[in-house]
Amino acid sequence: MKSENNKQKDSFEERIENLRPEDLKKVLQIFHQKLNNQYAAYLNSCVHCGLCADSCHYYLATKEIPAIPAYKLSLVEQIFKKYFTLLGKKAPGWVKAKALTRDIVQEWIDSLFGRCTLCGRCSLNCSIGMNIAYIIRIARGALASVALVPPGLQSTVDTAVEKGNNMGIAKEDWIETVKWLEEELRVEVDDPQAKIPLDKKDAKLLYTVNPREPMFFPLSIMAVAKIFYAAGESWTLSSENYDVTNYGFYSGDDGVSALISDRLVKSMGKLGTQTLVIAECGHGFNSNRWEAPEWLNKKYGFDVKSILQIVAEYTRRGRIKLDPTKNAETVTLHDPCNLVRFGGIVEEQRYILKQAVTHFNEMNPNREKNFCCGGGGGQLAMTRFAKRRLEAGKIKADQIKETGAKIVASPCHNCIDQLLELNKHYELGVKVKTVCEIVVDALVI
Amino acid sequence: MLAVLKWGVSGSFLICIISLIFLVLKTFSFGRKPHYARSQGEGKKGIFYAFGKAMMPWEKESARRHILSYLAGIFYHGGIFVAFFYLFSLVISLELKMPFVFVFRILIGLGFICGIGIFAKRIIHTSLRKISCPDDFAANLMVDLFLALAFLSTFYPVLKTYFFIISSILFLYIPLGKIRHCVLFFYVRILFGLFYGRRGVLPQKIKFEI
Repeated sequence: MKSENNKQKDSFEERIENLRPEDLKKVLQIFHQKLNNQYAAYLNSCVHCGLCADSCHYYLATKEIPAIPAYKLSLVEQIFKKYFTLLGKKAPGWVKAKALTRDIVQEWIDSLFGRCTLCGRCSLNCSIGMNIAYIIRIARGALASVALVPPGLQSTVDTAVEKGNNMGIAKEDWIETVKWLEEELRVEVDDPQAKIPLDKKDAKLLYTVNPREPMFFPLSIMAVAKIFYAAGESWTLSSENYDVTNYGFYSGDDGVSALISDRLVKSMGKLGTQTLVIAECGHGFNSNRWEAPEWLNKKYGFDVKSILQIVAEYTRRGRIKLDPTKNAETVTLHDPCNLVRFGGIVEEQRYILKQAVTHFNEMNPNREKNFCCGGGGGQLAMTRFAKRRLEAGKIKADQIKETGAKIVASPCHNCIDQLLELNKHYELGVKVKTVCEIVVDALVI
Repeated sequence: MLAVLKWGVSGSFLICIISLIFLVLKTFSFGRKPHYARSQGEGKKGIFYAFGKAMMPWEKESARRHILSYLAGIFYHGGIFVAFFYLFSLVISLELKMPFVFVFRILIGLGFICGIGIFAKRIIHTSLRKISCPDDFAANLMVDLFLALAFLSTFYPVLKTYFFIISSILFLYIPLGKIRHCVLFFYVRILFGLFYGRRGVLPQKIKFEI
């Protein structure tokens, strides 16, 4: 496996080394295609004040200049200025405008893929208010057009495109897992009629999962199934299109992103469901709720909701009953960037946890101002940047320590993977759970 | 001589405004994408927030952590606006009363000191130097000179000649370099407000809605 990784890395380095002028031209062409009035305004606006530096977990952890958001932005800005501004064309040195070369491509890969989780915290702290994460994403997309996405991330995208889900789970295995979970559910709720519906037509909700759940965390699916059972909900899973993730969002490839998200749209049509429910997955929510209609250039004829919105509604309307004393340990909450800062799901998880646990301590800062855990932006898939990812995660580890919590709730499986690694690396001694797993522990059936 | 220079200032100002309008319109030549995702909040509220609370130190961590730079930025830009108003009054030969001139002197002088401070910071801090380009230094110095001459010409009318000359040069440079942010700042803040407002992220909601 290790030698295979090295081989993969070597071939990627080789690909960079052998970049042809046509490749660079294509990067520029795609970059130009991806620009719109918003990006053009952003790329003309940076005043290089550097106040964004301390907002980035990479910079805070390493104090390295290439980790400063303004520096990362300048890598894209220099190309924009060279080709699209008067001063950049006539006096490039004056505004640090540069022509696209292999060295710059290499720096783009290292900084835009390797030192950014697209968390968007810098935007909130930018003196001007630029959406730096989305600019970095379009530069990533330009690199994707010439197959310059780091191998781990690209293979995750490829697997999703080829196999229908990012873990490459065969359809029979998925169906078998659902059947097994259904049997478990029947035992747990002591009801032989309890169901985990698959391809049920005209159900109210179509629930989607992160493929890591059937593979490694089946209890997450079980938790949601139990909540739906307790609420008496009309819901279903799809046997074909159930993957909520969209790593095209991280590689910046809009074509692939559209293709992946469109599968869920097709399932909605095929099954005749009213609401697409996104599992606890940050980028899955941002992708499918906010970005997919833009990629697909169409308005959805159905609602897209986070499972947290659904569970919060059940709790508030009394459709499920929770006993917080069943969760007596102190719980803190990690806010996934794509769900909270980009997604607008902020208070639901707090409302749920306050009903489900006895002691809830907020991290500081929290909500849209929260720090990224370091697992976003496709970082977990890019092993070549793993050391940096763990280093940058120190900010989150320190935040967790300060709360004194024994359980960290995180409504995102990517974040959970990173938090589990941070737990081990920084010896935090905490348990990491999804919000629904905590809810189900408090559920009174 | 002064009359000619006044025409020079007016002409360069006009060129500046036309160029900035062109610059904003040019951004639309890259295409404008309509929104397809259903809104979850209000863009207008987001814009209102973007120009108000979002920039306050208690709301914005970067402002809070760098309170001196933040205040220097506010006084610097405040001084610039006052100096432009002073320039305008000179061009239209408006007689300013002494209390106004006194307040202008204080604000412009403070703006100048803050401008020099920001320039020094850019030179001293390695990280800031690394992300800067010659335009950043030149723009700062040019504006500092503009402020210095505005300040001094309130005491020595003979310096108005130089104040008009630097003002004309400044107006011609604004659309080319970083000072173009004088217009793009407002453009980007609107985009910021729309983005977070539509998504229901900002302004923050206290309760969730069913």
